[in-house]
Amino acid sequence: MSWQFLLDQFATQFGLWWVIWPAILLGIVVGILPGFSPQNTLIMLLPLTLAVPVEQAMAFMIALYCANHLAGGIPAILVRIPGSGGAAATTLDGYPMTQKGQAQQALVLCFTASVFGGLITTLATLALLPWLSQLGLYLRSVEMVIVMLFGLTLIAVIAAKDTLKGLIAGFFGLLIGVIGTDHIYNTPRATFGFLELYDGVPLVPALIGLFAISEALVMLEEKMIVDQAGRERALEARWSDTVEGLRMSLEKWWHIVWTAFVGLFIGIVPGAGASIASFVAYQQSRLWSKNPEAYGTGVPEGVIAPESANNGVTSGTLVPTLALGVPGGSTAAVMMIVLQYHGMVMGPRLFATDPGVAYGVFVSMAVAYIFMIFTILPLARYMSRVVLFETSYLAPIIILVTIVAAFGERQYLFDMALALVFGVIGYVAHKTSYHVTAMLIGILLGPLFEQYLVRALRLSEGDLLILFSSPLGNVLWGLLVLSLVLPLWRGYRQKKPLPREED
Amino acid sequence: MALAFGVYFFFSIADLAWEAKANGMVIGAALLVLVVVQLARIGLRVHRGEADLQMKSLVEPLDALPKRIGLVLITIAFIATMQWLGVTLGMVLALFASLWILGVRSRRALILVPLGVGAAVYLLFVAALQSDIPHGPVEWLLAKLLMLAMPPS
Repeated sequence: MSWQFLLDQFATQFGLWWVIWPAILLGIVVGILPGFSPQNTLIMLLPLTLAVPVEQAMAFMIALYCANHLAGGIPAILVRIPGSGGAAATTLDGYPMTQKGQAQQALVLCFTASVFGGLITTLATLALLPWLSQLGLYLRSVEMVIVMLFGLTLIAVIAAKDTLKGLIAGFFGLLIGVIGTDHIYNTPRATFGFLELYDGVPLVPALIGLFAISEALVMLEEKMIVDQAGRERALEARWSDTVEGLRMSLEKWWHIVWTAFVGLFIGIVPGAGASIASFVAYQQSRLWSKNPEAYGTGVPEGVIAPESANNGVTSGTLVPTLALGVPGGSTAAVMMIVLQYHGMVMGPRLFATDPGVAYGVFVSMAVAYIFMIFTILPLARYMSRVVLFETSYLAPIIILVTIVAAFGERQYLFDMALALVFGVIGYVAHKTSYHVTAMLIGILLGPLFEQYLVRALRLSEGDLLILFSSPLGNVLWGLLVLSLVLPLWRGYRQKKPLPREED
Repeated sequence: MALAFGVYFFFSIADLAWEAKANGMVIGAALLVLVVVQLARIGLRVHRGEADLQMKSLVEPLDALPKRIGLVLITIAFIATMQWLGVTLGMVLALFASLWILGVRSRRALILVPLGVGAAVYLLFVAALQSDIPHGPVEWLLAKLLMLAMPPS
């Protein structure tokens, strides 16, 4: 790959601006709305992407995909409703920043971390592509089970105010994630007699219920989302707040870089997507912070880490798709279908036979991120004014509109009712200090965990010791234990007295 | 809740092949152990006088409770009647009722907000995305009007 080739690719992609801009705007709208996933939007637009030349189709899909990853953080910050699973971790510090009257700064942090995180990893992927494509091959079922368990320990650490409650919420979510038929015999488990649950618990109603509806029900306790001081700050929103957000991002540039790489490496693992990456990055950011106790109260690093990783995933997901023919996620699967329709054969040979497409995908991604920062940054000032609405208006609009959005994924009325049920569960969890994010990540990991565990157990004929049979797996076990023990040890050293609580 | 679901899960997988229940057994067993530890911890704290068993936090503040229950009931009615009313009319009526029980009394807000949100929902879900969400009188009427407005091909 020569410099001339790369420059030609960049020139070609910049020439596709007329495809990229509309895709970015559509991606932002889809990203803001919970229930509208990029893969579903791309599926609906298949007649378009199959009809146009492959370069234009890929530029459109890539721009929409990246914009979607960025926009999921907007409602997460403003009203504590993640637009997608990958933005769930952003609520942890993004929403507290909004409550402190720093919504505009939080949005700018989200935008810059997303754009630069995505851009850096895209350029890194371009440089490291031949080596990165091998990484996914080292993780087999045993290692994946441990990676999933690693995700579970993160749950406990994220909910660090009470690790035990965090673990209970996480395992409860994991068990909910197992609802549905098993992968081998297709026998239903814990479906409460509902046919609609045979395919498992749909993620969108769970996401909407646990976050949007539960939050709206809690929101009713106050007249406004923000206190009086925060309201005054939002009323006086100025361009200087956007500049302050940029300054905060610049101060934390290294944070953006390393958390983006966390996202990139997790994105390469097929199946492990933005949701896992953002939580891992958040946890690692907190683990290595000098002020871990400040996380959850509205610290800039708590917004940067998940958003940067969330967008670092975008390029990582496409590595196994192009290099191995194994889609890293559902959106990548849709892209693969379009590429195959256009006659491309996925795998290492793609880089030799169609380098323009193989490398062009990543160049297109870099160009989309460059366009995106200029599109979205000026909007932060106006978006932050959402917090000025009274909760008596916001709460019913959030509940009723997101309930309708719950219909979008599978087109079942049942899913609307399911979202409401999850809303009530989320409300109870919220009021009794059980982390809803822990529950959600459990639901997300559930089916994947089962798939890898059963595969590993079938290989060993039911012997659980297979989970300790791989050197890489044992290293991961060590890291897992460290992630769990280190915060406990820190907490013990600080010797904070426990607050009185109602159980 | 977790304990009840865990027990139900064990019952539902009792007669299945080991591959179908291995994962549920591993996760369910871990969950039950964690719940038992939590119960023991609560018992210890209650014994020490550091905590109590009241569930006040679930219902407090009491003035928000009727609003919360009302909002949930309206949402249930919205979902249950959607097949007949359609998403747009259902949304307008449900939003009007929700705003009313939440104390909004401004006539302008009570009319404009539901109509505005209803229109946005129609444009996004019915007109733009053409989802299979239930249609009712408003959707049928608008479809007829739009057909009339279109020139015959």
